[in-house]
Amino acid sequence: MQLHWTTIVTVLFEWLLFSAALRSISGKLGWKKPWDAWIPGLRFFALGRSIALNRECRFCGIMDVVFLLGALSKSVVPKGRVNAALSLTVLILFLYLFLYRIRIFLRILEIFGLRKQWLLLFLIANWLPLLLIGFGKQYQPRDDIQMEESWMAGTKPAQIPGTARSHPEALSSEGLSINIRERTVKEYGKKRYLLKDISLNIPNQSMVLLLGGSGAGKTTLINAILGYEKADASVLLNGSDVYRDYDSVKHRIGFVPQKNLMRGKDSVIRTIDDAAQMRLPKNITKEESSSKIAEVLDLLGLSAGSEGLVEKKSGGQLRRISIAMELVTDPELFVLDEPDSGLDGAIAREIFRKLRQVADEGRIVIVVSHTPDRVIDLFDKVIVLARDSGRVGRLAFYGSPEEARAFFGKETMEDIVMSINREDEGGEGRADEMIKKYTDFAAGQKEGAAS
Amino acid sequence: MTEIRGESLRYKGRAAQTGIYLKKFLRMFVYQSDWKVLPIGAIIAAVVTFVVGANMFVTQEGTDMGTFALVCVCVWNGFFNSIQVVCRERDIVKREHRAGLHITSYVAAHMLYQLILCLLQTMVTLLILKIAGVKIPVQGTFMPWGILDAGITILITTYAADMMALMVSCIVRTTTTAMTVMPFLLIFQLVFSGGFFQLSGIADKVKYVTISHWGMNSLCAIGRYNELPMVSLWNTLVGFKDIELFGKKPLKEILVYTEQNGYRDAFLQWSGSYHTNNAYVSTAENVGFNWAALLVLLVIFAAAAVIALKFVDRDKR
Repeated sequence: MQLHWTTIVTVLFEWLLFSAALRSISGKLGWKKPWDAWIPGLRFFALGRSIALNRECRFCGIMDVVFLLGALSKSVVPKGRVNAALSLTVLILFLYLFLYRIRIFLRILEIFGLRKQWLLLFLIANWLPLLLIGFGKQYQPRDDIQMEESWMAGTKPAQIPGTARSHPEALSSEGLSINIRERTVKEYGKKRYLLKDISLNIPNQSMVLLLGGSGAGKTTLINAILGYEKADASVLLNGSDVYRDYDSVKHRIGFVPQKNLMRGKDSVIRTIDDAAQMRLPKNITKEESSSKIAEVLDLLGLSAGSEGLVEKKSGGQLRRISIAMELVTDPELFVLDEPDSGLDGAIAREIFRKLRQVADEGRIVIVVSHTPDRVIDLFDKVIVLARDSGRVGRLAFYGSPEEARAFFGKETMEDIVMSINREDEGGEGRADEMIKKYTDFAAGQKEGAAS
Repeated sequence: MTEIRGESLRYKGRAAQTGIYLKKFLRMFVYQSDWKVLPIGAIIAAVVTFVVGANMFVTQEGTDMGTFALVCVCVWNGFFNSIQVVCRERDIVKREHRAGLHITSYVAAHMLYQLILCLLQTMVTLLILKIAGVKIPVQGTFMPWGILDAGITILITTYAADMMALMVSCIVRTTTTAMTVMPFLLIFQLVFSGGFFQLSGIADKVKYVTISHWGMNSLCAIGRYNELPMVSLWNTLVGFKDIELFGKKPLKEILVYTEQNGYRDAFLQWSGSYHTNNAYVSTAENVGFNWAALLVLLVIFAAAAVIALKFVDRDKR
């Protein structure tokens, strides 16, 4: 065995120069631990956080270590097939590493507002332009690019005074009882909060609007309620624990996703019939099933042309077919994610009127909609979900539409959403304020009810 | 079983769900024009058979080439039948799984549906072979009739390839990825079949996990490869016939003598007897073993398909 000193020295030299270059720009990029720049692998993870290019930097970080180990092991492995294979592997990895580094460098140029001609310098020696940017006082990151923020999003819920969970709703055995303590995900070792402290009871025979800006956690909340993605929570549907008894409770839940997920090359009647056969209990006779299908088709105005192919139907009809597939099973809890998206006002209102009928039959209907004002009169309650300043979804309001208008001091639901949206999204950035206000409001309501 | 308001509720089990989905897929055969795989398969089989079919089951070289081409047709047909069937409706499967669909039922329905497709394709391919005049041995090796042996081999080979593609379709998330992966699998199957390309070392071991290897072994065994004449030696000698030795052409004289006295066929048969392959032995055990290997592969692929699709709920929205 013979050590290939040339390889070792080359690798170490490259590591030293590139690390020094990263160290030089770390201050300008706001690294919390500048010494990360010297640690193979970790230096790219730190860079990724600071320039909000996590995927590329993560890949580069892994490659960084693999490349270093590969190059070093090659130097101690005797010549032969293994050595040749290692050389080839290192070469391929190096090419990958190089391409990803170019992408990262372009992002750095964007952050510092520099022209792409700098890339030529990077191609000659990738550490050189970074050193120049790092030590050159004239090179400063642009103010309009926020880097650390996106990495930190959700890692720390905003500390809003008075919102500690001292008064969660008592779980009810009637209707839908939701008590979500937190919904978190682990992302590369970091715990991210998606939802926090959401507690409410929805009575049967209610039609509820779920409102919130983009990224507020509406879909996450729905997934948590339906048991698709479990949270640290208790969710009871008429006394049954959705999480614990999921296999049985799932048959009592209907969820209409945002997209029309059904096979276009099947007829409408067969699509709904199959859904009924799959989801209705065994003891339902063929006659009862047919009668239920006919009833749903009639309710949703799909009876005419039900023998036609799904793909031949209009947008409004497709939404209704998607709703019919779930409704045919008579769910106790019926959740719809944007059933009105892409539909004109008249058709949307028609669909919501049908949903109102469904709720009036004793079910709970929860609807996510981005254009609720045209149908708000049909809803009993509104859930407003807001993303706090730590970018965690929290409950900002739960009550009737009238109460919501008074609470937020706004005339329309869309204005309510704008008031809690962030300022950089064109909103008023009052999410934290409203979350705090609702906590006080809910506590006051509870005290009033108790006395 | 669900207990609701004192009433016990049972929902459709796996077998019933399989039936529902099988009916659905059979409707798709018409609505989604899945029937198109039959004429396409027929055209591919016809092109291949008319090019290499004349000497299949007639000479060893023709059988080598012909069975390899036929296995290629089977693998191609199988791959194209199912490479996109699951990934193109992955979101729908996710929705239905959440609503109570058993993944095993869904995959089982696909397996049954694909079996019907493969059966139809096998019948079409056999018809093409018959029309092209391919001389399939009348006497069977495993079954009483050779055509039945050939049919079963074509069916299992196509079906195993179909199941491999189904597995890929369950693993990948988009049709683009599926269609990118497919050519690599196809090339892998063809190169590592071990029948047409000489393999050595590790590559020679890899052939045991290829569908094409077992399919080709089976077809060669059914075609009584080891009893067939070999023509390449004769053709090589004919190529050297004009070599002169002491002003004469002895090789040409020998070849003319052999041909004029009717010894040519005996020579071909004799040379064939020195070019046998143990994997192509025409016994019921050997054919059965090859079929069993294909069945094992297809069961593994189907199981992997189910396992892969079980994770469909983890797909990001």
